[in-house]
Amino acid sequence: MSARGRTVLLGIAIAVTLADSSVVTLALPDILRHYDVSITTVAWVLTVYNLVLAAAAVPAARLSRRNPVRVCATGLVVFAGASLACAFAPSFAVLLAGRGVQALGGAAVVSAALALLFDVSASEARAAHVWASAGILGAALGPAAGGLLTQFAGWEAIFLVQPPLLLASVAALWRFRRTTPAAVDAGRPHLAANLALLFASAALSAALFLLVILLVNGWNLDPATAGIVVTLIPAAAIVSSRISPRIGAPAVRAVTGLILVAGGLAALGLLPHAGWRWTIAPQVLVGAGLGLTVAALTEQALRGRSPQAVHGGWTIASRHGGIVLGLLLLTPLFSAQLMKNETDAKRAGTAILLDSHISPLEKIGAAQDVLRTIDHSGERLPDVRKPLEKRFDGANGAEYRRVSATLQDQLERAVTSAFGPPFLLAATLALIGVAVIAVGRRSATL
Amino acid sequence: MRQSAAAIAIATAASTLLVATYLALGGTSYHASHVADPCAPRAWTSPNGVEQTLQQIALSTADGAGCALGVSREDVVLALASRDDLHHLASSHHLSNATVEDAVRAGLLRAVDDADDAGAIGGTLAGSLRFAAEHLPIGVVLAVLQGASSILGV
Repeated sequence: MSARGRTVLLGIAIAVTLADSSVVTLALPDILRHYDVSITTVAWVLTVYNLVLAAAAVPAARLSRRNPVRVCATGLVVFAGASLACAFAPSFAVLLAGRGVQALGGAAVVSAALALLFDVSASEARAAHVWASAGILGAALGPAAGGLLTQFAGWEAIFLVQPPLLLASVAALWRFRRTTPAAVDAGRPHLAANLALLFASAALSAALFLLVILLVNGWNLDPATAGIVVTLIPAAAIVSSRISPRIGAPAVRAVTGLILVAGGLAALGLLPHAGWRWTIAPQVLVGAGLGLTVAALTEQALRGRSPQAVHGGWTIASRHGGIVLGLLLLTPLFSAQLMKNETDAKRAGTAILLDSHISPLEKIGAAQDVLRTIDHSGERLPDVRKPLEKRFDGANGAEYRRVSATLQDQLERAVTSAFGPPFLLAATLALIGVAVIAVGRRSATL
Repeated sequence: MRQSAAAIAIATAASTLLVATYLALGGTSYHASHVADPCAPRAWTSPNGVEQTLQQIALSTADGAGCALGVSREDVVLALASRDDLHHLASSHHLSNATVEDAVRAGLLRAVDDADDAGAIGGTLAGSLRFAAEHLPIGVVLAVLQGASSILGV
C-alpha cells in the first residue's frame, strides 16, 4: 500500500475514534428515552468515554512504543467490538461499559497511529500535523454525523457504522515496515502546551455540547437539522487551518485561536434572540479558533519531543481531560440555570394570563393547561400555543392569540438565556488558556 | 512579528465586534415578565354571572394569600390546582401547610367581603362562601376557588 493510502486510512481511524468523544451528543435525547434515564445520567455516555480516553492515553502510548502496529491493530479490533456492544446494549450500564472499552481501544489506536504516521511520512512535523488535523476533523464532525445518523437510522446506527470503517483501517497495517527505532526515554511532557490544550478543549466541548443541546432541546430542531447547523464549526476550522501556517509561531496561532473561541462563546452566551441564525457568526469564530488552536498546541507539545507517541498520548490526555472538565463544570450550571429560568418563565407566564383581558372564568383553567404542557414537555421547549389553540375561535380568540405568542416568546427567551452563563464560563476557560500560553512564553516553555 | 501582532489584533477586534453587536441588540436583556405585587390594591371589576364572580374571588383570594405569605399571586394561583400543589408551595417557601391553608382561607374571606361590599354577590352566596372558608376541608375550598360552583349548588 502507498504511503498516501496508509496516511488516509490511519487518518480515518484517528478521526473515527476521536469523533466518538462528541458523536453521541445529538443522540443523547433518544438514548435518554430508550433507557429511561435522567439528563444528568445520560451525560455519562460522553463523560465515560472522555474520562477513560484521558486516563488511558499515556499508558497506551508507552505501550505502543515497542510495537505500534500490534497496539494499533488490537485497538482497532477492541474499538470495533465495543462499538457493536454499544449498538446492542441491553441496559444503560452495558452501554456505559461499552463506551469505556471503546475508549481503551481508542487510546491504543490514536497513540499508536501517531508513531505509525511518523514512519509513513518520515517527518515528525508532518506526522504531528496530519495526526492533529484528523483528530480535530473527527471531533468537530462528530455531532453532525451523529445527528444525521440518529435522525435517519436511529442512535444505534452511530455504533454500527464505526466497525467497518475501523476494520478497513486495519489494511493500513498490512505489511507495515517500521523505519524508525524505538526511542528509549520519553522525557517530560510539554507542560504549558498541554495545560493550554486542556483549557481550550474544555471551552470547545462547551461549544459543541451546549450548542447541540440548545438547538435540539432548546429550540426544537430535529437532530439532522441541528447536525447540519453545527457543521459550520468544522467548516470554519478547515478554512482557518489552511491559512494557519501564514500566521506565525504556534503560540501566536494558539492565542489568536483562543481569542476567537472566547469571542464566539461569549456571543453565544449573549444571543439577542432565539433561533439558529443567531449562532452562525459565533460558530464561525469558534470554528476558526478551533482550527488555529488545537493543531498549534498539539504541534507545539510534540515539537522536538521523542518519542512522539508518548507525547501525543499526553496531548490526548489533556484534550479529553479538558472535555471532561468542561462537561463537569458546565452541565450542572446549565441544568440549574435552566430550572431557575423555567420557574421564572412559569410565574411570568401565569402573570401574563392573569393580567390578560381573557374572561376571569377562563383564566385559571387556561393557566393550568399551559403549566401542564410545560411540566409534561420534559427536557424540550414546550409549545404553549397548543393548549390555547382550542380557544382561538372563541369570544376571546384574539386575546388568546396575543397571550400565546407572548407566552411562547417568554419561554424561548428563558430557555435561550439559561445557556448564557455556561457559554460565558466556557469563554472564560478559553481566556484562561490564553493566560497559560502567556505565562508559558514568559517562562520560555512555549 | 508584525504579522503575529496583526493576527491577534484582528481576532480581538472580530470577537469584540461580535460581542458588542449582540449586546447592542439586547443580548442580556432577558428578564422574566413583571409579576404584579399581590399587596397592591386591585380594582373590583363587574363580573358577569356567578361563575365569573367566583373566578374573580379566586384571583382576589390569591392576592390576599400571596400578600400574607410574602409570595406572588401567580405562585398561589398555581398552588390552587390541588391540595398537593398547595403543600408544595408551603415546602418550597419553608412554610407549614397550616400557615398556607390559613392564608388561603383568610384570603377567601377578604375576597368575599370585598365582593359583598361591592354588591357583586348576593347574601346567600356570600354566606355559603364564608362557611366554606371557615369550616370546610381545604380540598373543598380549593374546588370552590377553581370555579366548581356546582359544589355549592349555585
